[in-house]
Amino acid sequence: MAFHEKQLPADAPIADKALNWVDARFPLSATWKAHLSEYYAPKNFNFLYVFGSLALLVLVIQIVTGIFLVMHYKPDANVAFASVEYIMRDVPWGWLVRYMHSTGASAFFVVVYIHMLRGLLYGSYRKPRELVWLFGVGIFLCLMAEAFFGYLLPWGQMSFWGAQVIVNLFGAIPFIGPDLSLWIRGDYVVSDATLNRFFAFHVIAIPLVLIGLVVAHIVALHEVGSSNPDGVEIKEKLDDKGVPLDGIPFHPYYSVHDIFVVTIFLTIFTAVVFFAPEMGGYFLEYNNFVPADPLKTPPHIAPVWYFTPFYSILRATTSEFMVWLAVGVAAYVALIILKTRLASKFKIASAVIGLALIAGMFLFDAKFWGVVLMGVSVMIMFGLPWLDTSPVKSIRYRPSWHKIVYIVFGVTFLVLGYLGVKPPTAIGTAIAQICTFIYFGFFLLMPWWSAMGTFKPVPDRVVFHPH
Amino acid sequence: MTLLKKLIATLLLVPGLVLAAESTFPLDQAPDHTKDLAALQNGARLFVNYCLNCHSASSMRYNKLKDIGLTEEQIKDNLLFTSDKVGDMMTVSMAPKDAKVWFGATPPDLSVIARAKASGEGSGPDWLYTYLRTFYKDDTRPTGWNNLVFPNVGMPHVLWELQGVRAAKFEDVKDPHDHTKVVHKFAGFEQVTPGKMTALEYDKSVADLVSFMTWMAEPAQTTRKRLGVWVLLFLGVFMVITWRLNASYWKNVK
Amino acid sequence: MSNEKQVDSGRRGLLVATCAAGSVAGLATTGVLVSTFQPSERAKAAGAPVEVDISSLTPGELRTVEWRGKPVWIMKRTPEQVESLKKVDAQVADPESKRTQFSTTPEYAMNEWRSRQKDILVVVGICPHLGCSPTSKFQTGAQPSLPDDWQGGFLCPCHGSTFDLAGRVYKNKPSPDNLQVPPYMFEGDAKLVIGKDEKGEA
Repeated sequence: MAFHEKQLPADAPIADKALNWVDARFPLSATWKAHLSEYYAPKNFNFLYVFGSLALLVLVIQIVTGIFLVMHYKPDANVAFASVEYIMRDVPWGWLVRYMHSTGASAFFVVVYIHMLRGLLYGSYRKPRELVWLFGVGIFLCLMAEAFFGYLLPWGQMSFWGAQVIVNLFGAIPFIGPDLSLWIRGDYVVSDATLNRFFAFHVIAIPLVLIGLVVAHIVALHEVGSSNPDGVEIKEKLDDKGVPLDGIPFHPYYSVHDIFVVTIFLTIFTAVVFFAPEMGGYFLEYNNFVPADPLKTPPHIAPVWYFTPFYSILRATTSEFMVWLAVGVAAYVALIILKTRLASKFKIASAVIGLALIAGMFLFDAKFWGVVLMGVSVMIMFGLPWLDTSPVKSIRYRPSWHKIVYIVFGVTFLVLGYLGVKPPTAIGTAIAQICTFIYFGFFLLMPWWSAMGTFKPVPDRVVFHPH
Repeated sequence: MTLLKKLIATLLLVPGLVLAAESTFPLDQAPDHTKDLAALQNGARLFVNYCLNCHSASSMRYNKLKDIGLTEEQIKDNLLFTSDKVGDMMTVSMAPKDAKVWFGATPPDLSVIARAKASGEGSGPDWLYTYLRTFYKDDTRPTGWNNLVFPNVGMPHVLWELQGVRAAKFEDVKDPHDHTKVVHKFAGFEQVTPGKMTALEYDKSVADLVSFMTWMAEPAQTTRKRLGVWVLLFLGVFMVITWRLNASYWKNVK
Repeated sequence: MSNEKQVDSGRRGLLVATCAAGSVAGLATTGVLVSTFQPSERAKAAGAPVEVDISSLTPGELRTVEWRGKPVWIMKRTPEQVESLKKVDAQVADPESKRTQFSTTPEYAMNEWRSRQKDILVVVGICPHLGCSPTSKFQTGAQPSLPDDWQGGFLCPCHGSTFDLAGRVYKNKPSPDNLQVPPYMFEGDAKLVIGKDEKGEA
């Protein structure tokens, strides 16, 4: 296509002319329209729908504060701890930048967990938004890696021993485990070599991937349009101009709305930063104010609060539990064979895989399976768009008892998180094992339970109450 | 619904079941003198005189003491023990290797000790306050001292001249968890020789010292809290403005 | 935009207020972040005034101390060296140290010795041209790169600037200014503090 630049009248304002010049060469106005002023979002968003924007805000906060921290932090095992105290005491306003970054890390997970909860409740991952969800789970994985690598940097006792424990988990993988751990660490024990590479991952490698995934996540969403709490596809009812009847332009309605919610978020965020940055030892752990000592293991090593639900699942996987897991696998295979209408090749395959798993459960020790289970507990989220067979997207139109299922899942997740913070006990482990079954049952049995019950009729227009 | 209620009720009981009792010495609450400049200065004096001989506070700059109302002159004349420049850090006189040989462990750096000692039992200052007041004479230990909060600690009772020498009385009681066993239970102190201070004066001095260490662990804390009030007030105003702005747009959405 | 053709005055007011409050928040945040660039306490402590004991300085001796990463020369000039300063007044570019482009000479050095005490010279040993450190040339008389009536002083090896025993640059030399006199003061007879004078710490 030949290059075409629109001609404006000679007396047009200079700003218009400048914009016109850019637009002929770069989709600036086109992007503004497609993603903001003419991106039509459903008008019935509720409070849970603001957490995506908040997540973007926290990402920006982390990157900006991170840049300024890197100007003073030293990734050398001998001086890392002292360099953090240097930032806290000697760098003008360094303490504020540090607290914003540490609070931001925890805030990121609060926001992302609620954001994912929204997705779960309203079926935001359903067709045609499966890819949005997949990018999102990818972001979650990167976020966990980013937090894990970042936590080593202050080089306190929890930093060191947390990294030591998690890297040693990889040592549980049969055959390649110990070599893999050595390769990850770059040394026989977590050391300066480990610190430097974790620094590189945390500061540049993962942030680049994160930004790429966030862009992909938003582009994928905008391609098909946002869902809403009623699960109604607003693009099915358009006016004569092609604008969804239930849609409103993101800008100005949601930009202005999000700015308001941002002020609420910032109020809570700054309240924490200025009055409770340690948050009782959950955001800045007490033991991390002791410099790392490879010769002294703390009595109680626990990951940071946002990892604890998955850590609980790891700890629950004891050798006794393996028997129950084997029973679970067998029962699941039986369910697939008896209660699905899949082609026989899939049924045979599942039987074979099931048998292999059960054999493996007795061949390899529980430590390895704990790592596997912990990994699967996160990875299973990728499968959600295909596990959910419900005829309706949103919880609003599902049978009422589905709400109980979600509540139980939510409570299970919280209980696992709580147990992960505490030292292991016999009763705690038992409860964590029950919760592990509930957690996996929620996902693995979803193809059956999500289609069960009497569903309510889904309206063809969104349910909206004017403000 | 009843099943759900039962489930929730059971799950709510979990915390109680899971919390295993850890038997550590109960901590007293440290009086907070961090807003009293005179107390902090007294604490600084005690810290430099009694602690810096063995411990370092290597993230703490001497001239930061200006923030608790001391002039550079006062710092140079009274507190500059381990250096000759007021801009230097509070490093230790003793070499860490010697300390390890003499005491069995390297005395830890105290820059952030008040933040590090926090736990479920109490705050960091609580730990320090109780620790410094529960030393007792114990001839079975190399230093001749033991401590109730930190049993078999390598540190001697540096403040003994102020508190005097005390012995601890123990009685044998049955272990509450296992009736076949017997535990030594602490049953009070006994003053062997008096110190230069009365118990009340000593407690106040320790409170000053602990408050100083609390301040030293985060010198920015006073500014942080003061500024926080203004930031929150501003955000409150900002919140109201954006709330009304949002409402002004959304009233058009039917 | 929305269905309206005009922004009503109430909304405009709120928009203005939001932008104003937002800019305050933005400026405050930017200010905090940019302030982290300022010299830290560590940098300030390292750049603190330096105390020098000059009781053992012999006549004709030059001692170098470091202040803010720069070499500072402390020279005890002999009476002959002090006398010789008048002889080169006509040969130096700025005999009365009036230039302020490169550095301002403190008032206590605005005299013929460019120092508080005529026998003690205190100057920064860095050539104002491009930053090399000149070498001492105290021997009088003709020498390579020096005039025949050389009274003693300093020669910069990089581009040939010459300075007299008060740090004043000779005419037609690359250096645009005399050697800088740093803030300094005496505390007692034997102690010199570099980096501090009556105006306070530099």
